[in-house]
Amino acid sequence: MDKQNPDNAGEFFDQFLDDYYAECDEHLVLIRRALVMLEHEVDAPVDRSLLDNLFRSFHTLKGISGMVGLTAAEQLAHHLESYLRELREGTLGLSEAGFEALVAGVSLLENVINARRNDQPIPSIAEVTERLQAVPTVSPSEPSAPERDPIAKRWQLEFTPTADLAARGVNVNSVRARLQEIGELLQAKPIVKGAGEIAFQFVLETDAGQTTLKNLEADGLVFEPLEEDAAAHKPQQPLATIAPSTVVRVDLDRLDELMRIIGELVISRTRLEDQLTELKRVTPAGVWRPLQETSLGIARQLRDLRESVMRVRMVQIGEIFERMTFVVRDLARENGKKIIVQLSGGETEIDKFLVERMMDPLMHLVRNAVSHGLETAAEREAQGKRGEGLLSLSATTAGERIVIKIADDGRGIDRHLVLERANASGLSQGRSGIDDAELLDLICSPGLSTRDAADRESGRGVGMDVVKKAIEELGGHISLETKLGEGTTFTIELPLTLAIAEALIVSVNGQRFAVPQSSVREVFEVESASTKVLENNEIISYRGKVLPLLRLARVFEMNYQRGERFHVLVIGEESNAVGLAVDRILGQREIVVRAIKDPLAQSKGIAGATELGDQRVVLILDIGALRQLAVTSRH
Amino acid sequence: MITSLGSLGTVKSTQAGTGLEAIERLAIEPVDLMVLDLNMPDMHGMEVINFVRRHQSYRDIPIVVLTTKGEEATRTQALAAGANHYLTKPFDPRQLADVVGSLLKAS
Amino acid sequence: MEPFILFELAGTTYGVRSRFVQQIEMIEDVASVPNAHAAVEGVVLIRGQVIPALNLRTRFGFERVDRDLRSRLVVINAGDRVVGLIVDTAREFIKVPTESIEPPPEALTGLSGKYLEGIATIKERMILVLNLDAVLDLDYQVGPQISDTTTELMMDGR
Repeated sequence: MDKQNPDNAGEFFDQFLDDYYAECDEHLVLIRRALVMLEHEVDAPVDRSLLDNLFRSFHTLKGISGMVGLTAAEQLAHHLESYLRELREGTLGLSEAGFEALVAGVSLLENVINARRNDQPIPSIAEVTERLQAVPTVSPSEPSAPERDPIAKRWQLEFTPTADLAARGVNVNSVRARLQEIGELLQAKPIVKGAGEIAFQFVLETDAGQTTLKNLEADGLVFEPLEEDAAAHKPQQPLATIAPSTVVRVDLDRLDELMRIIGELVISRTRLEDQLTELKRVTPAGVWRPLQETSLGIARQLRDLRESVMRVRMVQIGEIFERMTFVVRDLARENGKKIIVQLSGGETEIDKFLVERMMDPLMHLVRNAVSHGLETAAEREAQGKRGEGLLSLSATTAGERIVIKIADDGRGIDRHLVLERANASGLSQGRSGIDDAELLDLICSPGLSTRDAADRESGRGVGMDVVKKAIEELGGHISLETKLGEGTTFTIELPLTLAIAEALIVSVNGQRFAVPQSSVREVFEVESASTKVLENNEIISYRGKVLPLLRLARVFEMNYQRGERFHVLVIGEESNAVGLAVDRILGQREIVVRAIKDPLAQSKGIAGATELGDQRVVLILDIGALRQLAVTSRH
Repeated sequence: MITSLGSLGTVKSTQAGTGLEAIERLAIEPVDLMVLDLNMPDMHGMEVINFVRRHQSYRDIPIVVLTTKGEEATRTQALAAGANHYLTKPFDPRQLADVVGSLLKAS
Repeated sequence: MEPFILFELAGTTYGVRSRFVQQIEMIEDVASVPNAHAAVEGVVLIRGQVIPALNLRTRFGFERVDRDLRSRLVVINAGDRVVGLIVDTAREFIKVPTESIEPPPEALTGLSGKYLEGIATIKERMILVLNLDAVLDLDYQVGPQISDTTTELMMDGR
């Protein structure tokens, strides 16, 4: 558990820590994004809002790290924050050395947090801290910016806009800009005052004195100190950020729970539909039709609800892209190459599940491009190319698919070389020419596939063959375009809608099946001896009532042996519940639902298929159809 | 922002670059209709709609929302929050003119 | 000249145009599908897709044998159907001159219908060119209708 703070053991603190890590992750994403943009501004005028965002993130990380007692992170964040502050106030812009120091600082910060997360020794922050402090931010001739008084006060200000003020050029934007010059704007929001007037409320943290603030009164600003204790020695609260102001962090578990409930709603509504159909016979059309319309309306709304929840699982692919940018920088430096990374479509959204599965394959492609695809500056210039190599990562959506491209303008793949190797290892029959598609197949053959040192070191089994497999398993497709001397482009297409469900894995007569969790009300174990036979149907007693049993083995016409005990899954609603009898319940898994498209393999009672990670196909049961079978088999 | 509004002839238009500015406009000059882009730097368009609709005096101002293609979910939200109409970017400026025209006539 | 993929089934060589063959795999897990046609051994996962695995021996009425290391799954991609065919072995790729494909002899056409597109004789070797549509269409009975005489006829040509 928590070795460094033995006094803080306990569940509460663990949850606290989880929240801390989650929040750190979020901020690190924002920080990486800002750094990627900042890189373009080295030795150039810097976008102030970027600096502000970075400052805020470091400030927050400092505060929350202090709260959980991770001193190394707190101090590192403090130094990063100080450097940012000096950047904002200093006269020299961002230098290369400064940027490198920032990047090093952020990497180290990440490592420190992960070290704590994995109970590993915390790396030393001394060296990086020195680097940060050594970066000059003012020209030597000017006096350095005065050390800011760490104790700042918070003020609440109110600005009421009027036509006169606006005519003078005083409006909410100008006010906000002025406030940001004298301190840190923690909040800005519109409010409605007593008489229905619109005003804007700001919360400002500044060490500027009252006189400075009084100057603002002329512009229609009213101010008063904010009650909160802003003394620097107390750990500071995570600060409210101005934008985006509507972000909520959600546990994936809760989303899955939501999806499960929605699944149940869908089933209930289907039952409603069945009941309505029965009602039709005995109800006047004028009464029945509105009922039916309401039911259909609910079906539509459920569909929208389901889609909305699925959208919540979406993250921007830009997160992966930005992470890759850092990998590229490090690799480029190690290999002595100069590489420019071009990102586009970072705001394209992709299901979090896909992100996790695609991280390694995409990293592999990117590393390949840097290590093998792109040449050194010297080689490139000798060819008449620009010294810096270009690596472009892009994402777009095309209908129901997302298209990701990883392109470099490097050497291209030498297909003759690949063909030689393939012929030598017997993978191809002595052919002399191949097109891009065949080339891709070859380089993705396990025999030819290369794992680079980094993959091997990390123990990851990622080679092109694994990349291709991972993509195809997600129902996607990878293709290749390459020209010798000009470069290579990999295009990956993935379906955006991945049907994912929670399922119970059961065993019947030695064969595994998946049962959608949302269809199962309850599960319990039963002794074979306790079943009875009533009018040719097997039943058991359940909650004081009779539950008819449906033996899957019988429905599927398998020979089966009755064990001493077996498991029952209760499906259906209260009044027409049925118990599905299986041999054993093996576990519970999140599965990717794949449809069985070909009629040859379709069968009543089977809704689709999935694979549990071991490449073995497991059929998914169609609970609705099975219930119907149960009903018909009874009559 | 939308510069094509200028071509609407008899309609005087004023621009706001951020959500807070847009709300400020409401406060200092008479506004008959708002055209809102949902993605704004300081305040999300949805919040602007919510704020406006909760306010006595501005509850009935017609609001036209601009969304990007594929944002059906936000569009539904915006309508649920009280927007009157939406247009998907990129759109034909004449479409906007038509919508604005009919909303103004109705109110 | 058209490229063909050849496979063996009960001692007879069959051919399918390469462009319909998506890939050839060793046969790993086949999940048995309950209540499916007898010739459908089950389903397999190929490139993220769940496709049926059709046991051609059963399909053509030959006796079933256990799979061994040489058994192969020939994944056919024709029209928009992707189906795997379980065969004894599949290793050869040859080019067949289109002219050498003769329509199947009368005796066969009547009995086994249209599951053969034709017969090609390459260097004294007889290759039965399959009509995939007919093979994949399970409403279409194949198999026990091939009489012993016909089988002998076919075997003699080898």
